[in-house]
Amino acid sequence: MDIHERKSAAYRLGLITLLVLAVLTAVEYFVSIYTGSLILLLIIALIKAAIIVNNFMHITRLWREESH
Amino acid sequence: MSAVTTTHAPAHAETQHGLPYAQQLRANRLGLWLFCFSELFLFGALLASRFVLWGNTRPDLSQVMGLVATSVLLLSSFFMYRAEMGAAHGDRSKFLSGALLAAALGTLFFIMVVVLEWNVFGLEGNLFGVELFGHLTPADGVYGGIFFAMTGMHALHVLTGVALILIIWWNGRRGRYTPESHWGVEATAIYWHFVDVVWVFFYPALYLMGHLVQ
Repeated sequence: MDIHERKSAAYRLGLITLLVLAVLTAVEYFVSIYTGSLILLLIIALIKAAIIVNNFMHITRLWREESH
Repeated sequence: MSAVTTTHAPAHAETQHGLPYAQQLRANRLGLWLFCFSELFLFGALLASRFVLWGNTRPDLSQVMGLVATSVLLLSSFFMYRAEMGAAHGDRSKFLSGALLAAALGTLFFIMVVVLEWNVFGLEGNLFGVELFGHLTPADGVYGGIFFAMTGMHALHVLTGVALILIIWWNGRRGRYTPESHWGVEATAIYWHFVDVVWVFFYPALYLMGHLVQ
């Protein structure tokens, strides 16, 4: 994969992540209105946090030999 | 847009501490993650207090305001990610615009919490039937106490994050970062996303979970 493809893939990942987070935020809003399930809301929050930690915060860089 | 640099990290280059750059970067990353981990104890304690003191109840807060503030912070995280990717790929215009938008949205979030939700100026009004200003005060028992403690501590971190973003934006304008060396941008991005992760748990805990108490 050349540098331009890597760049496009990185921006695409950001956009997809934003869309998934937006959908999950809407889902938790409606879950609270229609069911009010604490467990479900907690699970959605955990999924959202995991997505941010993995895709935006790049936690995997911690155990990879990856420089700038 | 500046040219995209194709060279990679100068893994052999030494830092001011005499360590190879790649090794210093790993140490920096570990240090920052440990800092975030230590912050989890603070925010975790606040979250635990909410469940102990509020139980399965919540105060009457504007649902629309909570949802909009959450969306603003998510969008801000997205632009911070774009800024970091811009710096990593030598795309200066994306870096600068992303950082500026992230800071602007972070400031908007801060204003929404302090001016609208806290209602520090004691204002009243609504927009399309949505009440704009909150009515909870710190003196309103456990509801006021927990709400102001959680949003206050988070808002303080938002303010710090906005200041850091503006610093990297200013440095970026002066050409301080390259695709090979932009730890300042990466660190700020990680911190900013951490602030977002905290809100991911605070938002449902404050606005969505539990039965409404009038």
